[in-house]
Amino acid sequence: MRKKKQISVWMHSLPAMVLIGGIIVFPIIYTAYISLTNMNLFHWDNYEMIGLDNYVRALFKVDTGFLTAILTTLLWTALNMVFQVVIAFFMALGLNAPGLRLKNVYKTLLMFPWAMPAYVSILLWRVGIYNTEFGLANKVLSALGFEKINYLSQNIPAFISCMVLNLWMALPFMIMMFDGAFQSIDKSYYESARMDGAGFWMQVFHITVPSVKPIMAPAVIMTTFTTFKQFDIIYLLTQQKGALTGATLQTIITYAHQNAFVSNNYGLSSAVSMIIFVLIVVISLFLNRGLKEEV
Amino acid sequence: MKRKIYGTLCGLLAVGMVAGCGTQGTASNAANGGNASGTAQDTAAEGEGTDAAEPEQNQAESQTITVWHDGDESIMQVIAEEVNKELEPENVTVAFEKKSGLTDQLQLYGNDEENGPDMYFYAHDSLGMFAEMGILAPITDFVSAEDEKDLLPMTIEAGTYQGTQYLLPVYYETLLFLYNQDLWEGEVPETTDELYVYMEEHTDTAAGTYAVVNQHSTAYNVAPFINGYGAYIIDENANPGLNTEEMIEAVTYNKQFAELMGEGDYDTCNTLFNEQKAAAIIGGPWLVSGIKEAGINYGIKSLSEFTLPNGKPLAPYSGVQGIGVLKHAGENKKDAVASVLKALGKENVGISLAKKSSCAPANEKSYEDAEVAADEMIMAMRATAETAQPMPNLPQMSVMWGPAESFLAAVNKSGEDVATAAETYQQAAVTAVEDMQ
Repeated sequence: MRKKKQISVWMHSLPAMVLIGGIIVFPIIYTAYISLTNMNLFHWDNYEMIGLDNYVRALFKVDTGFLTAILTTLLWTALNMVFQVVIAFFMALGLNAPGLRLKNVYKTLLMFPWAMPAYVSILLWRVGIYNTEFGLANKVLSALGFEKINYLSQNIPAFISCMVLNLWMALPFMIMMFDGAFQSIDKSYYESARMDGAGFWMQVFHITVPSVKPIMAPAVIMTTFTTFKQFDIIYLLTQQKGALTGATLQTIITYAHQNAFVSNNYGLSSAVSMIIFVLIVVISLFLNRGLKEEV
Repeated sequence: MKRKIYGTLCGLLAVGMVAGCGTQGTASNAANGGNASGTAQDTAAEGEGTDAAEPEQNQAESQTITVWHDGDESIMQVIAEEVNKELEPENVTVAFEKKSGLTDQLQLYGNDEENGPDMYFYAHDSLGMFAEMGILAPITDFVSAEDEKDLLPMTIEAGTYQGTQYLLPVYYETLLFLYNQDLWEGEVPETTDELYVYMEEHTDTAAGTYAVVNQHSTAYNVAPFINGYGAYIIDENANPGLNTEEMIEAVTYNKQFAELMGEGDYDTCNTLFNEQKAAAIIGGPWLVSGIKEAGINYGIKSLSEFTLPNGKPLAPYSGVQGIGVLKHAGENKKDAVASVLKALGKENVGISLAKKSSCAPANEKSYEDAEVAADEMIMAMRATAETAQPMPNLPQMSVMWGPAESFLAAVNKSGEDVATAAETYQQAAVTAVEDMQ
């Protein structure tokens, strides 16, 4: 009877397992297999196993730029997440200020960047804000009598420009999450705190932050992954084919793209993809552990 | 009982999900020299548009050659009309099918007789990659030197990879000097030095008005200077040449022009010219329709008519559009393929392309037509063909655009020293070429 039940359970989950196996597990296993071969343009049909050579090339050959790309990605993720969480927290707090009029209008307007397709937003910013001839940022500078600036031609300004755009695109989601989290806090906590003489910052750090932490953790983790594997912003702002800006920023995803789609070396690019996969799994495990402790 | 039904249904669902992975039975008729296009359209080409109307299929009498392309459908329509008219007595029909991302598609279907095309129509710079993959048959298996005697030598060179011709050239494109006749003062100069003097006098970067704009950090657009100075991005042995003396000289010379050309990306250059904030633009024939729409009274000059300080003319890259034969079609449909190639090489195809699509034909005889000879743009490209160099068609060139353009952007946009940047990006290029192996 027990065995029959077990078979029934397996049969029920079989369709889902086949689907997951076909579209998630198989590509990962196949990529791992390719990463151990010398499959490239010159060995299109006659590729063979070369062991871990591709991994050694990707990890230990410093001039491939892979290590720099990892560092840039970590810095990109950390800075973006800190700014996103802090700015969104205070903006959501502002939106929940007692007596604020037209609250819903502000909230709707703030959602606008999030609702726009990323590709459109990025190209609009590239031409509408950062372009030296037509960009708003340079129009303002010119009106004030300053010289035009090419915001995307050097690595540091380009990094900051990409980050500003990422914040513009990603903040609405975080603000919405914080806004929702704030609604769940019992207002009587604040009343009691005020009666006990607690000021604004005291209330924020001792009531608001601890109360929203468990609710916000999943949103922060999700956004961390999105930021980690961000590709569109850096690629479209600085690396678009035929419109390079001079900045040489590379995150691991843009690096993998360059290797996979430009070099036609599928062995090496699969090795890079597997390393990224392992990195994401490790970070995921780390963050999930943090999340469990939080809850 | 219920459990059994649930179990069976779940099993069926699981089997149904993988049913699509099986190979579909196709009415392949390769053996009788028949038509593969039906298969290609039913499976691989699902959802894609077809340029030519599907011909009445009477396989006993007619044969259809399927050609995949990634270009302008109206141009393919012109070619299909001319070629099909020519091939009518032979009962051969050409059907063009648009495939976006043709390179990827050919990587997947190049050797697939059932689902892939018989021929492909594409720019020549991907030729080396397809040849290395071993999916192409040499054109010389189907056409003789006599059939190609009227084709411009530059276009034949473009279709040749490591001594074997794999592509029959049909038309080509090069960069041109397009200027606004209402804004340009006086005659267009004959030398690049005079052009620079004109630019200095007529450019106000702070006000956003320019004499000439060019994509000064795009390798294709800087190629007229690079080739003119005798430099090369990659040589015939796949050695990158970003740090050669000639390249440094060319990039240094281009840099002074870049300083007077604004941001230099495609959209900015076009907008500046179309909004009459730039008096001239260096660009390809693909810009002309937009320029006409903007109502600009434009004039055209061939880049070959500008002389560099070393006494040599500017020598832009040319992009040659041509047709190649997939190996399996070469083996199974040799006669039909040969007929298609011979029809495509005739001057009437070039004349129609020039008249209806403003393309510069690869066939020299097409230029003898009075209407074609009166077309300023086409004749400017014909003149440029004398100095133009075909883009390298080595597979390694695909990884050279990145380092070459990064080099130009580093010099023109980030202000890096030319010699230092040349060394940095030469190293990047060498690594990129090595990484292909």
